Amino acid sequence: MIPIEYFLILGAILFAIGAYGVLTKSNAIVVLMCIELMLNAANINFVAFGAFNDDIIGQAFVVMTISVAAAEVAVGIAILLNAYKMRKTTDLDDAELTSMRW
Amino acid sequence: MDFTSVFGDFTAMAPLIILLVGALLLPAVQFIGKRPTATWAVALLFTAVSLIVNMMMLTDGTSYTTLDMYTYVAFTGIMVLLFQVVLFLAILVSNSSVETTRLHVGAYYALLVGATTGMMFVAGSNDLLTIFVGVELTSISSYAMVSMKRKDPRAAEAGVKYVIIGGLSTALTIYGISMVYGLTGTTSLSAMSTLVLDMNWMMAVALVCMIAGYGFKIAAVPFHMWAPDVYEGASSPVSLFLATGSKKMGLSVFIQVFLVTFIAGSVLGAEATEGLQYLFAIIAALTMTVGNIVAIAQTNIKRMLAYSSVAQAGYILIIMAVASEYAVSAGLFHMFTHVFMKGGAFLVVGALICAGIGEKISDYRGLAKRSPFMAAAMMLFLFSLAGIPPLAGFTSKFFLFSSAIGGVDGVTSQWVWLAFIAILNSAISLYYYARVVKAMYVEKGSSDEKIVVPKAFTVAIAICVLFVIVLGVYPQLIFDYCELAAAAIF
Repeated sequence: MIPIEYFLILGAILFAIGAYGVLTKSNAIVVLMCIELMLNAANINFVAFGAFNDDIIGQAFVVMTISVAAAEVAVGIAILLNAYKMRKTTDLDDAELTSMRW
Repeated sequence: MDFTSVFGDFTAMAPLIILLVGALLLPAVQFIGKRPTATWAVALLFTAVSLIVNMMMLTDGTSYTTLDMYTYVAFTGIMVLLFQVVLFLAILVSNSSVETTRLHVGAYYALLVGATTGMMFVAGSNDLLTIFVGVELTSISSYAMVSMKRKDPRAAEAGVKYVIIGGLSTALTIYGISMVYGLTGTTSLSAMSTLVLDMNWMMAVALVCMIAGYGFKIAAVPFHMWAPDVYEGASSPVSLFLATGSKKMGLSVFIQVFLVTFIAGSVLGAEATEGLQYLFAIIAALTMTVGNIVAIAQTNIKRMLAYSSVAQAGYILIIMAVASEYAVSAGLFHMFTHVFMKGGAFLVVGALICAGIGEKISDYRGLAKRSPFMAAAMMLFLFSLAGIPPLAGFTSKFFLFSSAIGGVDGVTSQWVWLAFIAILNSAISLYYYARVVKAMYVEKGSSDEKIVVPKAFTVAIAICVLFVIVLGVYPQLIFDYCELAAAAIF
């Protein structure tokens, strides 16, 4: 059996890559993809813990996370499209327009 | 009245189920009827029915449980009541506001009602899974509502910003929850509070991720930077909904997860629990100080109210550090008065936008002559927010700060410094509130023309004025229930 540390390290690496992308990338679609990466890092943790604790809640949680992530991206892309119509760009920190990051 | 004959095992969720049915029906009502006013009336009707059912359940005092995951106790009742009041005020003015969408009326009301259902779901949850789903239901609906304002690029930008920050906070929260699940082997809060765990690096990562994730939802410093932009970009009814409703949902999560389970349950042992309390004390002090100081520099009234809202969340976070039953009841009471004073202030801003007055503080010059009622109401709300007696804000702040000072049994608590910072902050906040009052009453405006605001706004503002005064002189009206609520969970 693969030791649980391997799963946790994979999850942590995915989470770090996602967080780095959210903080640095300027394209809004790439940022949404990075948020997906972070959510999936948590999913890996859940599945690994669920399997090692012999508990079903972990997998149930993953199903919930996947559906929430899908809903979030669907709404996110629609809002992005709305903003694109006015700004003609999906760039979050375009030099000439107001920043959409924070 | 007994609702078990109607709702069976799901009686605990009765107010939610009514609203959920409403949320599903509203788009159909709009599609068939094609009359926004009719849809508005149906939305208001569902809210009123749900409000009455909840009031009956709350005064009855029975607690219900559904599937070990959702419990209806006095705490749930009082939070659900708060969310319903917010929803009622937001819907009441949505039909006459010029800012709300005219194209997607059915969807707009459905999202508003659906988001409130999510908040109510959180308030009774006894499991991290259901809390997560409820928070997301509210958040995802809010993202769409923010971008639904008509013809305003600011709303579109605020929407994108809100989605990205919201997504980041979701990811942080869920990563934290996965760690907690790994350590405890359960997601149930009541099962968790019976455990005793060691404080190790994994627990630290889990707690930091969860506090950061939910900190974004209540806009606690340093996770507050989205709030002013979103409240400014969204239409006034939605700003009201987010500032008074959505934020209380986050605070409810803080109370349920961190206060009741981790601090009061002492899951981590005495030493680590005290560390957690100090962490929350520092967050509370930072949040109120930064919120108040940045608010001074604002020229846009919506941004000013947003920063003051950040500061108010800081005051309520005091209860996380103090962690006593009295503090929780005071915090709940402050949440209630905050709904009426901050909600009322946003309603006045929304009403004046309908009358063609801008969002700049300088646009409010000479308002006392143009609309005496609006100016007087705004003054009441702002003075109540600053905490001037005999208004509601003074009473609730008095309860809140006195809980931090302690002294009930002759012992001053260790959190006196926190109360001191909070009182100092109240003094700072008076400066920027008084500036608006000065603009309205002392400075001369460019025109003396009388202004007319829609009737729905006048009614909603009158309700807020009434409660700001009544809760100030007769706090027992709600405070008794807040004490019951605190006793039920603590």
